Amino acid sequence: MSLSTPYTYIQCPCSDQTVLSSGNALSDPEEDERTFDPKAPRSNYSLYPLEYLLYCEDCQQIRCPRCVTEESVTYYCPNCLFEVPSSNLRSEGNRCTRSCYQCPVCIGPLQVGAIQPTTDANLLPTQYQTNPTGGPYALFCQYCNWTSTEIGIEFDRPSGIYNQLSKINNGGKPKLTLRDVKDRRKDNPDEPPVPDDQVDADLQFAHLKAFYQSRLSETNTSIRGLPLHDGLGFSSPAALTRIMSLYTGRGHQGRLQQGPADIMREALGTNDGLKIANLDESKEIKKLINGGWDATASLEQRKEQTEPIRFEDQLRPIAYLLRSKRSKRCPACRHIISKPEAKVTSTRFKIRLFAKSYIPTITIRPLNPTATPAPVTYRPMVQEEAPLKPHQPYHFVVTFKNPLFDNIKVTLASPNATPGRFSSRVTVLCPQFEVDANTDMWDDALKDDEKDRSRKADEGPEVGKIWEKGRNWVSIVLEVIPASLRIDQQPKKGNEKIDTSPLKSGEDILEIPMFVRMEWEADTQADMDGPASKDKEAREKRELAYWCVLGVGRISQE
Amino acid sequence: MSRRPAKGDYIETDTGNKVSRKAVLVGTQNIMLGGKTVIQPEVMIRGDLVRTAQAQPPSGGSAAPPNTTAVAIGRYCFLARTVLLRPPGRIYKGVFTYMPLRIGDHVFIGQGTVVQAASIGNHVYIGKGCVINEFAIIKDYVKVLDGTIVPANMVIPSFSIVAGKPGRVVGELPDGAHDEFELRDLYKTVGNNPQPAAA
Ligand SMILES: [Zn+2]
Ligand SMILES: [Zn+2]
Ligand SMILES: [Zn+2]
Ligand SMILES: [Zn+2]
Repeated sequence: MSLSTPYTYIQCPCSDQTVLSSGNALSDPEEDERTFDPKAPRSNYSLYPLEYLLYCEDCQQIRCPRCVTEESVTYYCPNCLFEVPSSNLRSEGNRCTRSCYQCPVCIGPLQVGAIQPTTDANLLPTQYQTNPTGGPYALFCQYCNWTSTEIGIEFDRPSGIYNQLSKINNGGKPKLTLRDVKDRRKDNPDEPPVPDDQVDADLQFAHLKAFYQSRLSETNTSIRGLPLHDGLGFSSPAALTRIMSLYTGRGHQGRLQQGPADIMREALGTNDGLKIANLDESKEIKKLINGGWDATASLEQRKEQTEPIRFEDQLRPIAYLLRSKRSKRCPACRHIISKPEAKVTSTRFKIRLFAKSYIPTITIRPLNPTATPAPVTYRPMVQEEAPLKPHQPYHFVVTFKNPLFDNIKVTLASPNATPGRFSSRVTVLCPQFEVDANTDMWDDALKDDEKDRSRKADEGPEVGKIWEKGRNWVSIVLEVIPASLRIDQQPKKGNEKIDTSPLKSGEDILEIPMFVRMEWEADTQADMDGPASKDKEAREKRELAYWCVLGVGRISQE
Repeated sequence: MSRRPAKGDYIETDTGNKVSRKAVLVGTQNIMLGGKTVIQPEVMIRGDLVRTAQAQPPSGGSAAPPNTTAVAIGRYCFLARTVLLRPPGRIYKGVFTYMPLRIGDHVFIGQGTVVQAASIGNHVYIGKGCVINEFAIIKDYVKVLDGTIVPANMVIPSFSIVAGKPGRVVGELPDGAHDEFELRDLYKTVGNNPQPAAA
């Protein structure tokens, strides 16, 4: 991974199961003593940039995409942006039925267009004559030039492609539907069922669905809410009803009823939806010999298809998968902490509690940058900092910006030596400081004059003193002495065996784990406790502590 | 555009646009800038590719003056070096015509990117070396990663992260990333009296 430094990642408390289960926002002092290794494999799952994190006001704790629970607010097609009601979702599935298709070859969007007659008279005689209505039509990919005519599919009308496509097989022959089969059976009751090679996934599903529906309607036993394992077996209709209701989210409406456990028979033939696996692949092998590699579909193409296919001429246009807008709940207290407006085109939120409105933003920059700033006409190009030389002290300015309307007291703790094989030395020159409240924006104008007040010119960083300070931010200095990345230069730690394996990916990035504790006094919420809390003076001590990782730069491999 | 005394690399207009003297704006009368937009050197905007087939005026009514905007850009946009903005064209009622290219507010377009979209919403970041093909529609809050080729006519819904050749939605923007699209600070780092670039 090519990460650009510097960066700050924050650890969500959900990686520590004890914190989540007790629902306690504050970690006890002993816990602070444990070390945190940002390069440990587990850390990958708990570190996030600040903008990925949410905050629960009730638990007063950080929440991340991994631990929040999500609920769909709206389903919509990402191509036509039409909202799909959840009832349609149940009956028609999770793909757009409004003629929105993706190219089966390159995944680009497909367009409906009229098939143009060849205008060049020298070429082959025109294959298609445009009729007065403009047809026939086909789907076209404007990225790779694939068209549905390559798989022998054309349409009479430019609209309702979904319906038309569901009735044509590749090659142009009509697709066998459940209705066709039923009509056929009505005319010739003695005719044997459709041979398996003509049964595609759609027909098989339709058969299976009809079969189970008829089974279910034959028995009216409803025992929703009863445990599945109570001697019923999974193939009993009651158990099936219950499983269905679990998945469609329509549980709890049936009455608890003790009925006889009648076992339902399973699908037995083609008309029940049973399809025997075809193990004879000689047809495919023959096709492979004739068509070769070029005739086959790639793995990426195959995984987008709904039917298991092998060859390019079996590919079908891919109806767009629907996308959703989702709200997010706190895993501990179940309060909603992010909720978008339901309208597809709206980008507003009804609720959103971002961590960045509750905890300070931490930014890092070198005190003496080696890279010259990009010329104005080349901006926003960023010049990369030179790699850090081992055994040489570097200073970084770390800025904490307070989003709260209260002053915060920040206490930092960081191990003197970074964990891992290549242990760099770290000193936080000012581990404790206060950051002023995030007051009105127009005070920002005064920021620049205020900036240097705490420091005289030409003065280097000093221990115990903050570096710079502004309206709602404070900068401190961090001293780092990078370790050497040479395997043969690693200091011996007691009897431990030195790991002499080659440098792993990302091991050259100097990451500093830092424990941040913020304390502040907030107004007690004018809440439901009644008049007792009306006391204006009532201030509540709050505290929040978390680990973060500062990626300050790359160490040079010299 | 009213010009201030000629000096510096940029022409700074009354509405706060900062246009490099080395940018090529063709057909300026058809290019609308909303203000506070930065146009870096070697950017080309093809305002000359104006719509030729006009929408039919309502019958009987006095014909409104034809809309000749070819490229409309909102506020706080940033066009990095060598960006090309080109209105898309197609056959409309048997005649080839260009259609306007509309860009919203706080839209960043990276170095060397070619844009032929029909519309780009607000708060959109397009990386460097991208191609946004004809009549693509990019909604609000979208991030297009470097080197993406967005196919013609593609619609990209809000909160998408798009990458690849052809471009496809590869991820969803985190909820907290929305104000990162603000380009006010970047605007200040460019011009004849620029502030130092943010660290
Ligand atoms: Zn979490
Ligand atoms: Zn659709
Ligand atoms: Zn394609
Ligand atoms: Zn909570």
